[in-house]
Amino acid sequence: MRQGLRQSMAWLHAWSGLVVGWVLFAVFVTGTASYYKDDISAWMRPELRLGVEHEPGQVAERAAAFLAREAPDAGGWFIELPKAEDPVATAHWWKTLEGPFHKARLDPETGARSAARDTRGGDFLYRFHFELSMPPLTGRWVVGTCALVLLVALISGIVTHRRIFADLFTFRRSKARQRSWLDAHNVAGVLALPFHLMITYTGLVTLAPMYMPWGASTAYKGEELRFFTESGMMPETRMPAGRSGTLAPLGPMVREAIARAPATPIEGIGVQNPADAHAAVIAYFEEPHGLAHLHPQVAFEGTTGAYTGKPSDPGPVAYASTAFIGLHEAHFAGPVLRVLFFLCGILGAATVATGLVLWTVARVPKPGERTGFGLRLVQILNVGTVAGLPAGIAAYFLANRLLPLDLAGRAGVEIGAFFGLWALVAVAACLRPHRAAWREGLALAALLFLAVPLVDAATVGSPFGDGMRFLAFDTVMIAIGGGLAFAAHKAGSVARRGQAATARQDLAREGFGRA
Amino acid sequence: MTPLVVALNLSLCFCGLALMALSLDRHHRDVFGARVPAGRALPLRLGGWIAILGSLAAAMLVEGANFGPIQWIGALTGAGLAVVLILSYRPAWLRFAVFASLPMAALSLLLSLQS
Repeated sequence: MRQGLRQSMAWLHAWSGLVVGWVLFAVFVTGTASYYKDDISAWMRPELRLGVEHEPGQVAERAAAFLAREAPDAGGWFIELPKAEDPVATAHWWKTLEGPFHKARLDPETGARSAARDTRGGDFLYRFHFELSMPPLTGRWVVGTCALVLLVALISGIVTHRRIFADLFTFRRSKARQRSWLDAHNVAGVLALPFHLMITYTGLVTLAPMYMPWGASTAYKGEELRFFTESGMMPETRMPAGRSGTLAPLGPMVREAIARAPATPIEGIGVQNPADAHAAVIAYFEEPHGLAHLHPQVAFEGTTGAYTGKPSDPGPVAYASTAFIGLHEAHFAGPVLRVLFFLCGILGAATVATGLVLWTVARVPKPGERTGFGLRLVQILNVGTVAGLPAGIAAYFLANRLLPLDLAGRAGVEIGAFFGLWALVAVAACLRPHRAAWREGLALAALLFLAVPLVDAATVGSPFGDGMRFLAFDTVMIAIGGGLAFAAHKAGSVARRGQAATARQDLAREGFGRA
Repeated sequence: MTPLVVALNLSLCFCGLALMALSLDRHHRDVFGARVPAGRALPLRLGGWIAILGSLAAAMLVEGANFGPIQWIGALTGAGLAVVLILSYRPAWLRFAVFASLPMAALSLLLSLQS
């Protein structure tokens, strides 16, 4: 080791954080938004009427009728039943488990396609959080790799940080920029450190069976499904018979499942091999209040509708792994705790963003030196990501309100607006001087967020009407817009040059950048 | 009721973390204009620990051993952020905020016991 442990760790922290920082920023921001996935989806489909009760058995039969027309030869169906915040049934179907996966949102009253506007709602941000709009498996590998590096960055960051407790509350705004950035990075990182470690580790565990399938594939050669039944993840079902069969009506099975299941509401019905003589029907229920992400299930024989069983009780290992997933998704969190999780997520994004800025600030050329290509590249990617992604999300919300309702491929155009604005800010970051790019990119994102409630009021109606349904969403938009406007203002203020050199030495002493 | 317990957690954590911060010379100077007087640091830290552990105890008593710690850690982060923001933008407010946090904690405790 050339230098001390702490110096090596500082080097590792700076570089590991840098190479995955841009992806991680996007993962943190969209993941944090996903704590309010259902609220975002509800906002993006304002025409849906809430509070109408449907008998789940009837809805299941209507959806099954739709699926029997649309996908009679499918390998599997899944019917999501209407819930309070999303009162439609969603039919999913696929030929094989390798995909492609199709879905259609259905009016629970008629079983025909829902007339609500075509959008992917909060689901898009949620999937982006772990798939980055890439092909699902590729995206998950990329995000998983970055999460692994984040774990390295977190631990090396803890080792690097000399005064975790003494500096816990220290944010020296008045000092030179570099010092303030380091303080902000430390405060955001340390205050929510338990969250950062938890969310990174549980995120990796969530996808661990995909990253490391070899244990199960060695133990259950060719019969990987048995791994899931034996670990209590799903009930025992039969392999397809290869002969055609007729699926019995789902209504009675749904009613029997509700009678047999615990007190939580039914969430959906899965049908394996719907046209096969060995078709199986599994009713899924919401997880009971608890840490573990375990859905109670009740299984039936598809052709006769006879009850076949429930999943076996999960062993301690399966229970622990589902508890990790539960902790990551935080479905158990009530409204106040959810706000705290949201806050922690924002602190995570802020830690990554301040870290990225810090990398460039610690390497700003001395007077007379030229900005090297590497530094310029990092600067551009920083603005492009940290200002560009929020601008893209605001554009996604605005497009939802502004695009014509009957536009063909509307959901895709909304996503186009998301990437379009993001790309615009990134391109502008290449063309404009660095400081101006920060100011303008952040100001644009702020304006777009502030425009969301106005456009919402102009297109859908006052946030105070309709039982103030969207008041909270619109208020949060204003708050985010305000925060970004503040950041734009800060980025525009002139650096106190006199202190820059001392702060640079300060940072170099702690292992960041060069003196 | 959970929101009230979160309010109790937040106010106790805020009180505890603020006392911890005041036991450090740098922040004591920000708030009172002078270093921590001799013999004051220990009681401040002790008070801080009592409030923070009291918050954990309250969370675990009401929410159980699995959700209690989660809620407590969340409250520590939220309260810590508030302490940092007050210290760096309006340090003089911290002494009032510390005194206000105790009645807040008592009020949320009373209300949560009632409901």
